[in-house]
Amino acid sequence: MNNERLKYGGRVIYMEGVVVEVDDCSISVDLKGRLGFFKAPKRMFICDTEPKVGQEFGWNMSFPEQLGAEVNDKYVSNIEKERRKQEEMRKRLDNKED
Amino acid sequence: MSITAETAKAHAHDPAVLCCRAEAGITIEPANLEDPAIFDDLVDSGLLNLDGCLTIEEVLGAKLTKTCDSLAPLTADVLDGAKAPSTPAVEEAPAEEAPTVAAAPVAAAPAAGGILKIHIGEGKDIDLQIPVGALGGGAAAVEVPAAAAPAAGAAVPEAEAEEKVVRSLTRKHFNITEVKRGPETKIEGTVLTIREGIEADVIADQELVKDFHLEIITPDKYHTYSETIMDVQPIATKEGDSEIGEGVTRVLDGVVMMLTGVDEGGVQIGEFGSSEGYLDENIMWGRPGCPDKGEIFIKGNIVVQEKTNMERRGPMAAHTAFDIITQEIREVMKKLDDSLVVETQELKQVRRPHKKKVVIVKEIMGQGAMHDNFILPVEPVGVLGARANVDLGNVPVCVSPLEVLDGCIHALTCIGPASKEMSRHYWREPLVLEALHDEEVDLCGVVFVGSPQINAEKFYVSRRVGHTVEMMDADGAFVTTEGFGNNHIDFASHIEQIGMRGIPVVGMSYCAVQGALVVGNKYMQYMVDNNKSESGIENEVLGCNTLCPEDAVRALAMLKTAMAGEEVKAAEKKWNPNVKSTNVELIEGAYGKKVELVENEQSLPMSQKRKEKYD
Repeated sequence: MNNERLKYGGRVIYMEGVVVEVDDCSISVDLKGRLGFFKAPKRMFICDTEPKVGQEFGWNMSFPEQLGAEVNDKYVSNIEKERRKQEEMRKRLDNKED
Repeated sequence: MSITAETAKAHAHDPAVLCCRAEAGITIEPANLEDPAIFDDLVDSGLLNLDGCLTIEEVLGAKLTKTCDSLAPLTADVLDGAKAPSTPAVEEAPAEEAPTVAAAPVAAAPAAGGILKIHIGEGKDIDLQIPVGALGGGAAAVEVPAAAAPAAGAAVPEAEAEEKVVRSLTRKHFNITEVKRGPETKIEGTVLTIREGIEADVIADQELVKDFHLEIITPDKYHTYSETIMDVQPIATKEGDSEIGEGVTRVLDGVVMMLTGVDEGGVQIGEFGSSEGYLDENIMWGRPGCPDKGEIFIKGNIVVQEKTNMERRGPMAAHTAFDIITQEIREVMKKLDDSLVVETQELKQVRRPHKKKVVIVKEIMGQGAMHDNFILPVEPVGVLGARANVDLGNVPVCVSPLEVLDGCIHALTCIGPASKEMSRHYWREPLVLEALHDEEVDLCGVVFVGSPQINAEKFYVSRRVGHTVEMMDADGAFVTTEGFGNNHIDFASHIEQIGMRGIPVVGMSYCAVQGALVVGNKYMQYMVDNNKSESGIENEVLGCNTLCPEDAVRALAMLKTAMAGEEVKAAEKKWNPNVKSTNVELIEGAYGKKVELVENEQSLPMSQKRKEKYD
């Protein structure tokens, strides 16, 4: 199961978190112990009842490991494009509201 | 945990390992043995070494000569009176399969109604008994090399005469070679003109739509940066009063509608899709749901109200507004002269009453927002008249195969790009086409069922699926799903609900590495993996891991094998792409025809992102 690119992939830890936001397609979770936050599509969560803010979730996870030192320029360019676009659109939106 | 006599029998040829400490002098019974199902994990983690281990059938009844701890493999030196191994099971002799397939058609003909016996020598002494009447005539297309390939069906001449055409659908194709903007929307010859200023109508149509841009992407502009692709749609309309799934449909060739979108803050609709980037590096050309190389894209980028990108109404408004343009083109198409038709295609819904009745259950996303689909619009892949499957409670909706091929699903789905079925996928759905044209099966219909978020609702809908299939008296069923995640829970449940009614079920999904199934049950014996990516992952290339004709061929052959009562070997524990190629070879051997395999992301210009990240 461990990807051969991971050195510590077998180190699986039980984690818990609290739902902080639910929208129509995603669930956001704060990891207990101030270990961060994640947001993932609803289809990746298994729920017996309707997911609600304040509910606790548990899962197994491991440590994300760097796969290499190289920076992928393609991703950098996509992120940069995304950031610029969001900035522009945000400005336009703010001007509209003024 | 100890096993029962029944389990011991099923695993007679598997290794015998003690489940708990046993004293010297005891006689080995099933209760002393561990369930072989868990061995793979133990071997992987180095806790168990099966070298020299005897099989369960060898050790039963033997006397233990030495006290052993739990999880000790039973070898000859700790046992007295171990039996000799019996005939290896048929499935352990894959080398013999080819002659079986080759020999069968010859032997089958005179044996109609009786028993076809195939004897394979080679020192292994294998006898196969196949009731000839049950032979569907397929190869054993299994996710794992076939146990025994059934012979090609013994011909039943009287049954073939009774093929019945229930209804037909005519597709009239109009060719488009150029798309441009102009004062009015029109089609002249092969030139489609879209009205300038139509953007304002799109924006005005929906309150949530704040901005809209239309782009025409010709093949020379394929290397253009694009936001995440939300949907790819055919441009088609019904002729006269005909309804979806019958009568005449007009369709434009050489051009598709493509929708992308963001919210006012610039955040993508479908936050989690990431096929943004250069179009030519991110589209798996020619997949059923994707554009074909050479086609022109009418690409709309919709801006919805801030923060509605993650609400249900956001993507719904985007799809509804974008349909304004498609609808305007549809109106023009309705008036086109028949002389412009370049090809007429007739699709027939054929029933074959004396053949095995099969049904296709397609699970579609239904968790909410863009995990939704509009079902049965008035126009092919339209919006008007359709109902969202989330609003329908995700319950099964039965449609005819021709309704599927005529665009009865307008997909809002925005799941992982590689495994999502876009609207165009249904228009060219390979499994429906393959089953409809296969003369050895009787495709009775297609059932769409949504995948709700909550487990209780998942089981609610899957029980409905079970009853629906039961009352169809189907002999076999396919259950397919797009994407992966919690929808695999109901996917497994649908298979269970159908399987427990004694109906063989073939499950189809992208699984491979990242989409490994969440749950399983004993009815999930016949599985076909839709993966095409080299490393078995969600590779962010649009449509790469969706159901293709080669998967449909494998699934059909596997279902025929299962319906004929043949054994299909269990899947290997880990994803192994060789299983697919072995099965494809078996099918090619049995049918004597070549199965064309589609290309994967390796055929695309290698983007830096893929090169470094994945392969």
